[in-house]
Amino acid sequence: MCGLDNIIAIVGKEIVRLILGLIGVLIVVVVNALILTWVERKVSGHMQKRIGPKEVGPYGLIQPIADGLKLLGKELLTPANVDKPLYYLAPVIVFIPVLVSFIVIPFDGFLQVKDINVGILVILAFSSLSVLSILIAGWGSNNKYSLIGATRSVAQNIAYEIPLLLSLLPVVFMANSLSLKDIVEAQRDGWFVWRWQFFAFLIYFIAATAETNRTPFDLPEAESELVAGFHTEYSGMRFALFFLAEYTNIFIASAIATTFFLGGYLGPVLPGIVWFFIKTYFLVFVIMWFRWTFPRVRFDQLLNFSWKILIPVAFANLIVTGGILKL
Amino acid sequence: MVKEISDKIKEAVASVEPVETPYEQRGYHLAIEATRTNIVDIVNFFDKSGFYLADMCCVDYIDYLEVVYLFNNHNQVCRVKVTLKVDPDKPSAPTISHIYKIARWYEREIHEFFGVLFDGHPFMTYLFLHDQIDFYPLRKKQVPVPEEDKKLLNSFNPGEQEDGFFLNLGPQHPSTHGVLRVVVKMNGEYMLSAEPVLGYLHRMHEKMAENRTYQQFYPNAARMDYLGALNFNLGYVTTVEKLCGIEVPERAQYIRTITAELNRISSHLLWLGAFVADLGGLTPFLYTFDDRENILDILEAVAGSRLTYSYLRFGGLFNDVDDDFVANVRKFIDRLRSRFSMYERLITGNVIFINRVKNIGVMDETYPLKYGCSGPVIRSIGIPFDIRKHEPYAVYDRINFNVATGTNGDNMDRYLVRIKEMEISLDIIEKALKDLPTGPVKAEKIPKKLKPPKGDIYHTVESPRGELGIYIVSDESDVPYRMRWRVPSYSNLMTFPQLAEGSLIADAIATLGSYDLVIPEIDR
Repeated sequence: MCGLDNIIAIVGKEIVRLILGLIGVLIVVVVNALILTWVERKVSGHMQKRIGPKEVGPYGLIQPIADGLKLLGKELLTPANVDKPLYYLAPVIVFIPVLVSFIVIPFDGFLQVKDINVGILVILAFSSLSVLSILIAGWGSNNKYSLIGATRSVAQNIAYEIPLLLSLLPVVFMANSLSLKDIVEAQRDGWFVWRWQFFAFLIYFIAATAETNRTPFDLPEAESELVAGFHTEYSGMRFALFFLAEYTNIFIASAIATTFFLGGYLGPVLPGIVWFFIKTYFLVFVIMWFRWTFPRVRFDQLLNFSWKILIPVAFANLIVTGGILKL
Repeated sequence: MVKEISDKIKEAVASVEPVETPYEQRGYHLAIEATRTNIVDIVNFFDKSGFYLADMCCVDYIDYLEVVYLFNNHNQVCRVKVTLKVDPDKPSAPTISHIYKIARWYEREIHEFFGVLFDGHPFMTYLFLHDQIDFYPLRKKQVPVPEEDKKLLNSFNPGEQEDGFFLNLGPQHPSTHGVLRVVVKMNGEYMLSAEPVLGYLHRMHEKMAENRTYQQFYPNAARMDYLGALNFNLGYVTTVEKLCGIEVPERAQYIRTITAELNRISSHLLWLGAFVADLGGLTPFLYTFDDRENILDILEAVAGSRLTYSYLRFGGLFNDVDDDFVANVRKFIDRLRSRFSMYERLITGNVIFINRVKNIGVMDETYPLKYGCSGPVIRSIGIPFDIRKHEPYAVYDRINFNVATGTNGDNMDRYLVRIKEMEISLDIIEKALKDLPTGPVKAEKIPKKLKPPKGDIYHTVESPRGELGIYIVSDESDVPYRMRWRVPSYSNLMTFPQLAEGSLIADAIATLGSYDLVIPEIDR
């Protein structure tokens, strides 16, 4: 009755696939955030000659769960004079674009919730939404530090979305498709990062670090200047949602880099999904490495870097790629 | 130099009688008694002759109050004490805050502690004390605060304005390293003005000193500057020794120098980590603490404590060092020298770091004159002013060492000067270890109760943050009649409003970090 064919037939159906996929995405998001918090603590610990968490579970593996429980158990404090609807809404909104982005990422040839033929546009469109939630959080908190953090975030995201898009477009030209799966398949002959798009990869990676608000571009939450930036007034599970979204954003940024430049799930011997996660987590590690090595840039330097260096270079790269492909 | 100034001031200001004083006993070369009418002229004269206001304090002699101005020169030591007698019933004096900007704070301080009203001072509010205090704490007799004074004291109320918004940096803020509060008026990311508000850690050490014997007060010194505790100990101990004429054995002097320099390195290491953490780089903080831990271990073995040392005694030391100490210090010197190249690669050479500190918070030569700032802050401008060189104490006169200087006076220079200073301190320690003599570490026949002869003394040492001056007035009892601490961070911080004006908030915080502030020392 329930033979393998039947299961494949059921799973193959669009609606079932979507539901299963969304459940899977939720699991991946949460598990990924748990893993990344642990990894970040271990990475930072070892970079700083510490050992990081080690008491809760073997190698401190259960530590993120203990932290999560602690945050869940905390009182949800609402400061006086906040703009209540906005204050409550911001942590919820921050999570929607994150979930949507996961739908189109191909973890493997088969493991993709839905292969949309404008996949990358969906991701870019929705990732722009996360800045909206930061703005709402900063505005609604009735805190000057939050507000400065939010305004910084808006300026930063606008500045860095342009080079982000411009660095992805050459790959789209070369693969002749906006679908992420097609882009991965187009790299069977070799990864795009080695096929003329090394600069595009560099620009993308820098812009993605800025988009995810990580050091050296963590100005919206610069702790020595703005205490905690836009989430200064958030505590408990609301803070945890921002935290979860940040780590998921790092994962998505790395996953896109993997898909576009590092051949996605392609690789010898090991199954595709393993390759995908190896490459993605390596990039995540590099982003963490940045954080524990570099000091923070200044606000005007950050914007100048984008408008005066990244955007012109990305644009030149786009034109050259387009020209060569046309010839 | 002293003769020259003495002659010149007689010419410049009529009816002034400069008295030459024995520098070895008093700590100043000239004493001048001023009157209400000529004090501003005298101060103007010193301002024009390139002197800076080292300290300004007040002493209550019951019959009269005496405002004391201490001047010094950066090029050649010439300390001058100017005194002004003030009527205790209705104390007032002309302000000098339009000549020396640092006097704005000194005058506020004198006003809240003694009730001396400075005519023409633009902003006469409390500096340290809270607004409800209804007497003048440092007066010998209880004097209530008059009503018109109380109104003046409560006048600091920053409010919302149309063209900007106010931001309270501190007292609890990650970048202020303690409980400093800076009221900042912002226009977007730009600072329009910044006004430090002090007193959140005020413990009235100067009043405590008047209720304790010289020995009993000794541990307080380490509580003021907890990072340069041994240097503060050394400053206090040498001042009292100079006042009482106590000779310290050779070996003790050498060990004092070695431990004080170790303490200076540990202070600079902590600053290094905190400064880069202010700029967003968190990893160097842990590395410098790793190095600093070695110094704390070494000092713990001889002094018994790790942070607030009470290692020195009047006339010597608490105990002698052993061979282990010498071996450990030598090992530490080798270790730290090998670490400098790592800091060079991790911090100094980092493009982001260079862009964040270069040409930010630039001071010119007028700053040290107007504000009396000292230590690495002034050396970064290119003025090789170092008390260890100019007025040597312990055995600094017997050890040959360089003074680190910068050129621009920006944050980068302040950073480089401190890095270089650590290297120089290592050299000093190495040389002192080589020459370390044998012998006793405690002078004999130190009385249980120290009763210094009548008189006053001003003595300075170079703390990690700059010129630490201690002014003691003795009345032949075993308790100081008045003890005044001139602390370096105080005058260094005073330059902040001018540097922060019009800068980005991120730059201002970098500048604030570059001062190496220790708030308990400022607040005392």
